[in-house]
Amino acid sequence: MSLTFESVRFGKVEIPAEDVIEFPNGLIGLGGRRYALIDRNPGTGFLWLHEVDDPALALPVVGPEQFFSDFALVMAEEDRERTGIEDAAIARVYVTVRATPDPMDITANLRAPLVIHEGRGYQVINTLAEAALQAPLFTLSAGSAAQPARSGDAA
Amino acid sequence: MLILTRRPGERVVIGDEVLVTVMGVSGHTVRLGIEAPSGVSIYREEIWLAVKEENRAAAAAAEANPLPAAPPARRPPAPPEGSAPA
Repeated sequence: MSLTFESVRFGKVEIPAEDVIEFPNGLIGLGGRRYALIDRNPGTGFLWLHEVDDPALALPVVGPEQFFSDFALVMAEEDRERTGIEDAAIARVYVTVRATPDPMDITANLRAPLVIHEGRGYQVINTLAEAALQAPLFTLSAGSAAQPARSGDAA
Repeated sequence: MLILTRRPGERVVIGDEVLVTVMGVSGHTVRLGIEAPSGVSIYREEIWLAVKEENRAAAAAAEANPLPAAPPARRPPAPPEGSAPA
């Protein structure tokens, strides 16, 4: 069975009904109760966490391991109780992304990841001191040289 | 705002399900114990505010800025002094 919802950004979006993720507490400060992860930027690592009942509410997210090789998540006891997820390793984990005019300035929120398990999702607090609220998604270290250059830029 | 005076060990009950206990007071620090149903989320205010702001910014920023199709190319390289390419 599929479910179709309206998106300001993407028009009509059809997803398998079982792909709906219940967020019992919503996202902090944004609310929302039913989200879906949709892949509209294939191959980039970016997904959209889209509120099914709010055509205008969508956030880009990424899997943190893809961009942060040393990413770790330790949930506070109250979050483990609230979510019923004892160990983040059993869940799918995503982090929200703040897009910027210059992609080099894009940041990810490692402080408050999203954990998704068995059709439910929660935004939790990462208790690790090094988990930044705004961690740069791209760095100048090696690995991106093969990508298309922004050839218009002057040195 | 309701203002109550409590001593260490005393509690405040909010609704029928939330219990706040003053665990101890030391100088300017108060330790609170909070018992609430598992569905109730509890945050330190400064973290809650920061994440709320970041969530809203992430949702709004995505309206204005396209996501890159590929990792950005390196900025004009600033070659390290004296280093040779491998």
